[in-house]
Amino acid sequence: MENNNILNLKDLNVYYGAFRAVKDINLNIQKNKITAFIGPSGCGKSTVLRSINRMNDLVEGTKTVGEIIFQDRNIYNRNVDAVSLRKQIGMVFQKPNPFPKSISDNITWGAKINGYKGDMGQLVEESLKSAALWDEVKDKLDENALRLSGGQQQRLCIARTIAVKPEIILMDEPASALDPIATLKIEDLMKTLSKDFTIIIVTHNMQQASRISDYTAFLMTDENRSGHLVEYNRTSKIFINPKNKQTEDYISGRFG
Amino acid sequence: MDIIRQRKNFISKLVFQIATIAGIFALIILLFSIFNEAFGYVIFENEKSPAEIYDSGIGLENASKEDLVKILENNISKGLMRRFNFDQSFETRDRENVLELVIIEVVNPTIVKAWALSTSIFQKKMIIETLKNDYPEGNLEFRSWLSLDFLFSAQSSIPEKTGIITALTGSLMLLLIAIILAFPLGVGTALYLEEYARPNKLNKLIQLNIYNLAGIPSIIYGMLGLAVFVRFLEPITSGNLFNNAANSTANGRTILSAGLTLGLLILPIIIINAQEAIRAVPKSLKFSSYGLGATKWQTIWSHILPYSMDRILTGSILAVSRALGETAPLIVVGASTFVAQKPDSIFSKFTALPIQIYQWTARPQPEFRKVAAAAIIVLLILLLTLNAGAVMLRNHHKNKKKG
Amino acid sequence: MEIRVNFNEKLSKLNDEIIKMGVLVEEALDKAMDSLINLDEDLANQVIAEDEFVNNLEINIEDHCILLIAREQPVASDLRYLVTALKISTQLERMGDHAVHIAKGTIRLKSNNGTDSIPLFGMQEMAGRVKSMLQRVLTAYVQCDAEEAKNIALLDAEVDRIHDEVIREVFSKFMSTSNDQQKATTLLFIDRFLERFGDHITNICEWIVYSVTGEHVELD
Repeated sequence: MENNNILNLKDLNVYYGAFRAVKDINLNIQKNKITAFIGPSGCGKSTVLRSINRMNDLVEGTKTVGEIIFQDRNIYNRNVDAVSLRKQIGMVFQKPNPFPKSISDNITWGAKINGYKGDMGQLVEESLKSAALWDEVKDKLDENALRLSGGQQQRLCIARTIAVKPEIILMDEPASALDPIATLKIEDLMKTLSKDFTIIIVTHNMQQASRISDYTAFLMTDENRSGHLVEYNRTSKIFINPKNKQTEDYISGRFG
Repeated sequence: MDIIRQRKNFISKLVFQIATIAGIFALIILLFSIFNEAFGYVIFENEKSPAEIYDSGIGLENASKEDLVKILENNISKGLMRRFNFDQSFETRDRENVLELVIIEVVNPTIVKAWALSTSIFQKKMIIETLKNDYPEGNLEFRSWLSLDFLFSAQSSIPEKTGIITALTGSLMLLLIAIILAFPLGVGTALYLEEYARPNKLNKLIQLNIYNLAGIPSIIYGMLGLAVFVRFLEPITSGNLFNNAANSTANGRTILSAGLTLGLLILPIIIINAQEAIRAVPKSLKFSSYGLGATKWQTIWSHILPYSMDRILTGSILAVSRALGETAPLIVVGASTFVAQKPDSIFSKFTALPIQIYQWTARPQPEFRKVAAAAIIVLLILLLTLNAGAVMLRNHHKNKKKG
Repeated sequence: MEIRVNFNEKLSKLNDEIIKMGVLVEEALDKAMDSLINLDEDLANQVIAEDEFVNNLEINIEDHCILLIAREQPVASDLRYLVTALKISTQLERMGDHAVHIAKGTIRLKSNNGTDSIPLFGMQEMAGRVKSMLQRVLTAYVQCDAEEAKNIALLDAEVDRIHDEVIREVFSKFMSTSNDQQKATTLLFIDRFLERFGDHITNICEWIVYSVTGEHVELD
């Protein structure tokens, strides 16, 4: 694997109370690539994703042990501010969740709270263009974002995340609430975005992982229901010639 | 089996229908009795008949201004005459004004008999008989006890002249104070409990107590208000501390004390409502805000509050409408039963609509029951307006949320 | 907005590889025929050595197709197109092998015959015909043109006809004398390989028709 790491997960363990949800994850995420986390429900893939921008901090009773090295420091260090970390590591969620505001406000809000001083109109246009949404909404920027279709809403959420200019974008099953065509649009968008951003995506949809990702990590639960990493490799390797029997069974639909 | 199940289904449906109909029936009876009292025929008798004081053939209504002034001079004391002249000189008063003075001060019609609306409609013959036999001097008139005069007159011991302006302003000022106290405090507490507080023992205890407080009888709040605001904080609530005491001798039994007491009364309700509203904010909305690198406060201010504000306001309005109808704590805190002047500051003595209604119904004269009915209608209209406001607010925001 | 841009890009890359493979096979045929005409042993060896490129390209195309099938879950025309690509690559590889066989025949002729020129009868014309058929069939594949594929398949009849003619001529010229029999056998083999070129192209045509219409047809 080439050495262009942007993020290193070292012996990552996440506990919910006494329950160890994630066990000893070691992973290196490549810059400007799409990495997919796949695995059966409850395997901890979303937990790992949320620990990368410390979203787990918001869940009561979560404890994270181990290191996530980003920009030469462990993001779980005492002196790292979770709020500013989340500006660098943005997140897109499963259900499209635009703010109940106008389309342009959706984009500008994140930039405003992060002290963006530039031209807001330009930012809105750039972000919407990068999210392949500009042509569809340019005439109704002041309309409420909730009037858009589900797929458009999700692309707006991506545009909103881009507007903050993060290094990494985490996507938690971003297309699972969308119809197939809207899903394909999001996938194309991710491919395009991976030129400028590092993308980590959690997906239940193996085909989606195989279509879009450059690297795939397969996670599974052990006998204690703790999620652990089974196999991590280039997506082409995982989907044509997986090394691990469990991986093969899972991706071929014989398990899970 | 199926038949038994269907029969059970039918019976339970019937029971529920009967319960609903009973409820509606009770409501109709309530409204009927109120409206029945508030309108109806009355018989006026004059102290002096118009013919007696003005015997030219054209009738008192058409008398000239000079004649009317003369009639006044002949029939009332010099002192009263001077006072009227002092209020506004007779040269500048017009004819209508002087005629009114003559009617009020000289003719002085008083109600000697009043009937309910139902009697007025169905037993008009009996009423006319009564008029002929018992009150040959009297005039029969259909009267609405609820009128503009009633709304804007101060209290009086004469039923047909009394009004509710003092009680109405009292009630509104009380509500204003209660809202100013309870709304920010309640929403703040709710935000703390929902967004900041960790679920430890102390916070669970606080939460439990808030639920309990919402169920405490209001008279207990009255006791609290009496002890804390009227007695302990008297220098503040009477205004003495600010050299601003109204010239009444309220001694802490002021609008401020009562308003604060009502504020405490509705505080737990507002907190619980606001908590529920805040809890109803979708997690996804909060997370998307945090995901963009927003702080807790930015998230609360830009997303949680705007999203939940309709429910918070709805709950608060309902709480306020409860405060509007509260009587017990006001009595304990020391509402005055008779206040002839509108309260002019928060340090004034006060009365409120429910107190006024209670007090009128307790009077011996039957006419005051009709006055009370009119006041109840005013109170009901206020309550309905508040509740309608709550519903409208909710719909407005619901549409906004839907986009 | 256009969707599955990425998949479309990969498909066009696959097209490029198939065209490239076709061009290599065409060159191999050219060189093999040149070596035969001039009895150029060096050129024949070059053809044999360069067949490796064709073989490697076939493996590349197969991997490429498998990857796309595994990762992009193609259906309908996309799936047929990819399966067709796999089949075409196999046919092209065989054609490459036939070019090698022709080159090997050249070497055998040279060792038996020295530098004396050898009559090739209609074989040069056959090579010219299959070459133009190959060029046209690759275009038809890229353009998904079933009609053109059917037209190309019709041309194979002429190749077959020349093939039969060459057999007759070789028999009449060489079979009378026993010391020319080995030469004759070699020539008959070469004739046969050229004829096989045409058959493979016909197969490709059938696959193109399948790719476009979804129906299997027999085009000979």
